[in-house]
This record gives sequence, C-alpha cells and structure tokens, in this order.
Amino acid sequence: MATTSPAHANVTGPTLSRREFIRTGGVLVVGFSFIGAKALKANPGRAAAMKNTLDPTLPSSWIEIHPDNTLLIRTGKSDFGQSTTFTAYRQIVADELSVPFEAITTVVAGSTDSTPDGSGAFDFLGQGTPNIRKAAAYTYQALLDLASERLGVPKAQLSVKDGVVSGGGKTISYGDLVKDQQLKLTIPVRGDLTSIMGLMIEGNPPMKPVSQYTVIGKSFKNSVISSKVAAKETWATDVRLPGMVHARMVHPKTLGSTLVSAGPLDKTKFPNSQVIVKGNLVGVVAPTEWEAIQAAEQVAGGTKWTEWKGLPGNAKLHDYLRQEADWASTPVAPGYANKGDAAAALAAAQKKLSATYQFSYMKHAPIGPTMAVADVKSDGTVHIYTHNQNPQALRGEIAMMLRTTPDHVIVHVYPGPGHYGRSNGGNAGAEDEAVLLSQALGKPVRVHWTRADDMKWSTQSPAAFSDVELAVDEKGKLVAYQIDHHMPAMQDDRPIGAVLAGLPTMAAPQPKGDFIASTINRISDPWVYAQTPNVMERGHGTFQVGQQASPLAVGLRDHSMRTPGQFQQNYPRELAINEAAALAGADAIQFRIDHAREERVIGVLKAVREASGWETRPSPRRDAVATGSTAVRGRGVSLMLRSRTYWACVCEIAVTPATGAIVVEKYTIAVDPGIVVNPMQLKRQVEGGAMMGVSHALFEEATFDESGITTSDWISYPIPTMSDLPEIKVVLLNNPQVGTYGGGSEAANALAAPAIASALHDATGKVLRRLPLKPAYVQALLRT
Amino acid sequence: MITLNVNGVRHEIQAPDDTPLLYVLRNDLQLIGPQFGCGLAQCGACSVLAEGKEVRSCVMPVAAFANQEITTLEGLPARWAKQKGLSAEEAKSTLHPVQQAWIDQQTPHCGFCQNGMMIKATELLESNPNPTVAQIKEAFTTSGPSPHLCRCGTYKAILEAVQHAATIVAQGR
Repeated sequence: MATTSPAHANVTGPTLSRREFIRTGGVLVVGFSFIGAKALKANPGRAAAMKNTLDPTLPSSWIEIHPDNTLLIRTGKSDFGQSTTFTAYRQIVADELSVPFEAITTVVAGSTDSTPDGSGAFDFLGQGTPNIRKAAAYTYQALLDLASERLGVPKAQLSVKDGVVSGGGKTISYGDLVKDQQLKLTIPVRGDLTSIMGLMIEGNPPMKPVSQYTVIGKSFKNSVISSKVAAKETWATDVRLPGMVHARMVHPKTLGSTLVSAGPLDKTKFPNSQVIVKGNLVGVVAPTEWEAIQAAEQVAGGTKWTEWKGLPGNAKLHDYLRQEADWASTPVAPGYANKGDAAAALAAAQKKLSATYQFSYMKHAPIGPTMAVADVKSDGTVHIYTHNQNPQALRGEIAMMLRTTPDHVIVHVYPGPGHYGRSNGGNAGAEDEAVLLSQALGKPVRVHWTRADDMKWSTQSPAAFSDVELAVDEKGKLVAYQIDHHMPAMQDDRPIGAVLAGLPTMAAPQPKGDFIASTINRISDPWVYAQTPNVMERGHGTFQVGQQASPLAVGLRDHSMRTPGQFQQNYPRELAINEAAALAGADAIQFRIDHAREERVIGVLKAVREASGWETRPSPRRDAVATGSTAVRGRGVSLMLRSRTYWACVCEIAVTPATGAIVVEKYTIAVDPGIVVNPMQLKRQVEGGAMMGVSHALFEEATFDESGITTSDWISYPIPTMSDLPEIKVVLLNNPQVGTYGGGSEAANALAAPAIASALHDATGKVLRRLPLKPAYVQALLRT
Repeated sequence: MITLNVNGVRHEIQAPDDTPLLYVLRNDLQLIGPQFGCGLAQCGACSVLAEGKEVRSCVMPVAAFANQEITTLEGLPARWAKQKGLSAEEAKSTLHPVQQAWIDQQTPHCGFCQNGMMIKATELLESNPNPTVAQIKEAFTTSGPSPHLCRCGTYKAILEAVQHAATIVAQGR
C-alpha cells in the first residue's frame, strides 16, 4: 500500500511531483453539522481558515472512503519506528468502521498540508482514544444515518460487516453509499494546531464495544517495513530538489562562543563553494556534497570564535547541581500521592535509609544525524523536507523565526532515523538552518549534520539527582517514603539555528514558562505502593546548566527523551524500593506486592515473577561477593506505571568485581497495556526498548568540559552491540476488560536501569546509586 | 574517470577520485539503500558488498572500487536470482531471502541501520549458510571495521531474521 508521505518528492529526478489532497468527486465530504455545531462555535478549530492546511472539521480531512470501498486515513502523528500509524491506527479505524484491515490502503501521516491534527509522535494510543478513532466513530454514525435514509430502514435495525450495511433485507456498500453523496457530518475540534498537543477531536461519539473487536488484538505486519527493506521507501535523506545545493554547518567552538570572523574560503580548492554568515550562524554550501564537506572543514579551520568556559564539566556536575544550581526560583512541584506525615514518621523510625541517586546526561543519539532540505520561495512560502515528530509545531517555530505566519510554511515529512523525542516539540536541529541558508541563497538547500554536530549541538536528556529518605518498621512494612527529585528544565524547543542567527524564538525555559517550556519539575512517576501510610514526593526544578551564563543563552540544552522525566524519577524510586526491601529482609517482588493495592500492579509483578523463574528470597544473596576476577550473579526487579500501562522487569546479570564489567544475561519483561492491539508489533517494540534500556543502564553518559559537549561519536558515546543482547523474554498481558489501549514504545527503555542496579546489589552486596553502571564506576564502588 | 560496476551495471563516474563511495552511490547513481550514519566507519549504516565483502562506503574513496563488483541493497534481489539461476521475469518479483526474512520477522523499527544489517547478513550467509547464534553475533560485532549499531535496539529481531533467512536459503525458495 501507499505509505507515509503521499507527497513524494521525486528522489532523484528533475521534477517534484505532488498530488492534490482535498478531493471531492466520489469521496465522503462535508454536509451540515452532525453533532458538533455547538462545540464548534465555542471552540473553532484554529486551523480551519489557514492556507496550506486541511480543514479539520471536514471528515475527508481524516478519512476518505472511496467508491471502490478502499479507505485512506490521515494523522498528524509521524512514524518513528513504532509502527502504530501503519498497524494499530488501521486496526482501530477498521474496527470502528467495521471494515477489513486491508481495506485501509493508504495512511497519510505527518506532513502539515495533508494531515489534520498535528501533535507529536508520542503517546500514539494515549488517552485511550486517539483522534483517528473518534473520527472513525463519527464517520460510522454518519454512514449509518445515510444508509438509513437510502435503504429506508431505521438506523437501529442496520448492521455492518466488511463495509457493507445490511437491514430490512437490503444491503449497500460504503463505496456505493458515498458515491455522489454528501455525508452530514462536521468533525468538532479544539486546540492549537501548531502547539505541542495539536488539535483534539471533541465530543463522545458512540464507540465499538471491545467485545465486538475483530481486527484489534490480531498481529498485522507493518507495510512500511516492506518498502524500507526493498530500498523502495523515500527517506528524508533521499530528497533532492532541482537546483538544490548541499550544506555543512560550522558551529561555534563552544556553547557560549560568538563569532569573531568566518574563515576565508580557499577558492582555488573549492571554486563552487560559498560561505554564508548570519549572526553566529555559519554555513558552507556547494553543488556537490563532497565539496561542501571539504570546504566546510577548511572554513572551520580558519574561523575564529570567542572563548567561553561556563559549564561545570561532567566530573563536577553533581557537585554543581547540589551546591550551585538555583533551585529557589522555581516553585516546588508537589506529588499527587502525598499523604500522612513522612517527616514525623521518619523521625520516629528505627530502620532507615537516606540516599542520593544520580542520573547522567544522555543523548538521543539517532543512528543517522539530523538533516533537512529547505526551499524558501520568492513569494515567501517555505517548504521543508525532513523527518520530524511534530511537523505542525516546527511550522510554528519556523514562522516565528521568519516573522511570518504558519500558513506560509509547509513541512513535508519522510521516514528517517528515530530520535526518541528530540523533535516532539518541533525541531531536531537542522531544519531552521536549512531555511536560513535557502533564504539567503534563493535556492533549495540540504543541510546534513555531521556525527559530531549531532552529538555536540543537539539537545540532551537532562541529568538529575534525587534524595530519598525511607523507613521500614519491625514488621518489614514501608512506613515512610520521601523523595526530592531535582532536574534542570527538560524541554528547550528553541531552534538552534535561529538562536545562533539572533532571530526570534520562543523563550528559553523559565519558572513562569508554559507547561512545556517551564523549569518546573513535575512529578511524572505515578506512586504505585498505595499501602504506604506516609508519602512525600517533591519535584525541584532549575534552569538548564550554562543557560544563563552563555552569551548565546545556549548552555546544555535539554529535551525530553523516551520515557521523559519519568525515567529520572522512576530509577531512584525503584532502586530505593529494592533497598527498602533489603532493609526489611524481604523479597523485592513480594515486598512490592505487599505494598500495592491495584490489581494490575500486582498482576504484572506476579507475571514477571513466574516468567523469570524468580527465586523468592531477600537481597543481597547470601553468598554475595564484591571481590575477585570470577563473575558473580544477581537479579533485580523494577516496576513502572506509564500511560495506563503496567510494566515490570527482572534483569539477571553477571558482574566481574575485578573489572566492574556487567553482562545482562537475561531480561524478562511483562507488560499490561489493557487491550493489546497488535501482539507482534508490541512484542518487537518491547524487545527494542529493553535493549535500549540495557544501553542506558550500562553505557550512556554524555560527557562535557567547561565549554561544551565532548561526546562526539560512537566511540565516545558507546551504545550496545549485538554481543550485548541478553536472552529477552516478553510477556504480554492482554487485559481487554480495561477497555483502553496503553503505550508500548516507552517505559521499556527505562525499566532496566533500576533492575540492573538492584541485581548488582544482589550479586555483590553493594549499591551503586549513579547511572550509568560503567565498569570504572562499578569497580570503584566495589573497592570501597 | 572511474568505471564502477554496481548491481551488474557499469557506470562512468565523474566525481573526484577521493569522493567517498557513499556520495557517488546516493547522489550520482541514485542508489539510496546505503545511508549516512557517522561518516567514520563506526556504525555500518552505509555498508555495501564489494566482491562479496562488506565495506563501509562512507569512508572508502570511490577510486578504490574501480572494476570491482559492488552490490547495494537494491541489488540484493538480482544477486540472489543470479545465484539461484532464476529467469529475468522471476527475478523481478523476488526478494533476497534476507529481505524476505526481515519482512517476515518484522525486524526494523525506524529501519535506518537495517541496510547495513541486511548487507552483513547476506555476506554471512553466503559464506556460512547455517550460522550458530555465536557466529551471528560475531558477524555483527567483530567481523567488520566496527560493530553494526542499531539505536532502536532491534538486535533480537535481527538475530531471528538471520536464522529465518538461513531456513529460506536452505529451502532454496
């Protein structure tokens, strides 16, 4: 089937062909309001009147039903390898409309002029009812109304199977029903198309009962995989426009340097190249990619920047965060489960733990660096061809940078390397730079970052630390739990090229910023040990490290990354709960079960216990040993509730005390998302997330000195190889009575770290309360 | 001028001799299977087969490949068809067993690294049609200039796809 971008820039040819998107002939189109007139008057979709934008109130902006009974669906959510738009979304629409999965032959995703709702490529099945499901449910009711009219049969007496409506002895297919017909339907929407959350469909159309699902729950293949493995997919990296030139950037020497002078270009060596300077933004363009690469290197060598040393350096990071960072300017965020009097209970208790847990900066580290092609037309229209998780938000950011309106900006979305949240607020790095260079040249420009650009000039997942105090009573019960999470602002969506060029952007994160661009550190890890009588959770936020000291206001820019914020909060909590169990002399799984109340928490713990062959006993193991060159083994558990999905994992490790090297031998993971929409795809997502979790736990730490990021490639920022693959066992708990779908591609990556750290404790009797569990850090701990 | 033989077709290349092969394949020959991952031969996203051996096209100059037989992801079906003696007509509708296995096993997530993974798998299966798990891990980790890296963490799916491809090869289609 046709996939992602119907906009198909001809990869290599001289012309760019695009098809028209809004069709009317023979396709479901709007009539008068079906349900949403009132809602619409109250909250009109802001995008409705914009040029280069679909009208989200039109049903055909979401779902087209064609005379041949095939369907096309549109979603603003672009696929980043989760497969959801090509599998789960088709399954959900198929069930809501009572059509076969295969009838949905086209998925249009992401591009801003051909999808209706915006928002980011995250939480695809979040809130239980994604927009596309409601669009299908509204459409189904409108189709029944139309069929009732056409067949002369009351709506209540109609039934639908495989896209054919039956009733009163008569039948009609959807294709025949909509042929030359108007559907009486207006989709009610609210929201802001170019905000991070985009538009949301309003109202509560009747949904198909879970008991009637025939497509959801089955494994379907992801059609885009077939085109990718056959080299038939057009990737963002493949887009070539007529007259396009290649560019490489010359980024500043430090995260606070300003430009003194751009290096002279050696025209004898690079006769076709050109240097473009705008403020502190320096780019080099050339007709061929190889010339652009070499010319940029030559220019970079001669470019002069001011010096800047405004960062603490990673060796002093946690001292800096503890002693120097400003935690006072940002309001403290309260926990949602705070109860009792944790301070009093701690003061009165005998068996106590007081500990600090540290979390390093990590990179999103896409396997291919970020890139974009931009074409700024003479009439001011801007076309961007890229790989993006929130193209409508990018549209807004580019419009702001150019002091124009979003209707002048069109973002064409193509597949690319996953970057795990980096662009969910609109940009990944190169898009705005390509726009500025194209604007300066009057030609399409392709900016491709180098590996080092991508490591040093992209955002990172923020470092964090958490102070925990807890107490257990003589019966082994957790009587008090107090945690103070500290983390710099997590979401800086300012496009870096706009910042360097001194052009308008949104503000850097600040205490009074909106929900996204705020320094407030909200509690995002739901408390699941409901039987604990005294609980106090607090979130402390601050500015990004170096942000205020940098003349560019840059510093260590942070951005949400897979399981954002919750990873930084769940890791200390789950490792501390393991320590609490040890303090109580209890088994770590049974201890959790004994403190939980929710059935699904207990269910997922029991499932992982059984599947992993867990031996019930306290940790550390009786023969734990912290010395020697023989590998010792241990196991640990962790638990997370995220997006109404319950996760637990058990990691079994071997650690060699003399070297500090940890090998994860077996990784058992259980997930209860409610309704399992597509077992095969969920299983693959969980396996991949589990492997990334091993990576976060054992390897990943972005290093920096006083001037900038020093991590620059796969040697200085290692990720696992196939030799690090443990035996992975995934247990899917289908729980249809819950009635909602959960998430699948987040959480798995965050579960491993506390489980592996607990396994290290089990094996050696010592707890390493910092990530990652690198051999050098483990070795140092075991020597103490 | 350099003559390249890619996927059974001869091309006269105008690019400077020191141009890395990757840019010639992608920009001059429109062969977009190999991807730019690092430009440092550290990840394997750009891999192609040269005389049946996996090489990193992002660092190797095009001049080094004069008169060598190069196969990219696009050329895998024809390579298999030739090995099996399939007719031109049959070849058109055939995928290489490695590609078929990657679909059957639903291996890729984002898929950006998978070109190199499939090239490495093809190289492996041509010399060892029935590899053990240890041999598969060794192939993807230590046999080349660097390990083949997947950021989405699909190593289990890759391993299972290699095993599946081996069974397809054994069945001879």
